[in-house]
Amino acid sequence: MKNRLKVMRAERDWTQADLADRLDVSRQTVNAIEKGKYDPSLPLAFRIAQVFAKSIEEIFDPEG
Amino acid sequence: MKSTDDSLPNLRSSPQRDRRNQWRVILCAFVWAIFFVAVTLGIKKEWLPFGVSLAGVTATSLFGLATVLAYRRFLHETDELRRKIEVEALALAFGLGVVGGLTYWLLAVMGAVHETGFAYVFALMLLTHSVGVLIGRRRYS
Repeated sequence: MKNRLKVMRAERDWTQADLADRLDVSRQTVNAIEKGKYDPSLPLAFRIAQVFAKSIEEIFDPEG
Repeated sequence: MKSTDDSLPNLRSSPQRDRRNQWRVILCAFVWAIFFVAVTLGIKKEWLPFGVSLAGVTATSLFGLATVLAYRRFLHETDELRRKIEVEALALAFGLGVVGGLTYWLLAVMGAVHETGFAYVFALMLLTHSVGVLIGRRRYS
């Protein structure tokens, strides 16, 4: 599943560690999601959407 | 300006809670291993009277139980990717332990190996779990 996490993070000038702190996950998790190696659970996807103030569909593309 | 391209995973950046839980597991497992070795030696070399041996076996079991509970807590509270890696490694270790244990049992029935060597199966499971965690970390990094 493709996502815009890296782009949106860069727009805010956040490091992976910054985002990991905000989501209360490890940096490895943020890294794996950005690279498309790991699809987050629904609760984590909601937290990501909340942190970026976007809807889940604006961040994740299930067709990707 | 901060760099936003962090391509390499850094386990130090995991939440403080995970590190604390991991250290709790390591500490419990270390004390358990020390007790296990000391009690085994004490019993085999006949250094300990029966009552002390029994207390040693009980204490070893309790530290083993504490390790299991500490690991369960770590699994419950860690972030979801790390939990996935751990569970995949546990499945691999359990599967290999069952296959290895039954194979060893057949060899013991054949008389090709000693029945007392079953501890090697547990060692194989521990080793497989560690290798499984390493493979998982590489796969998702």
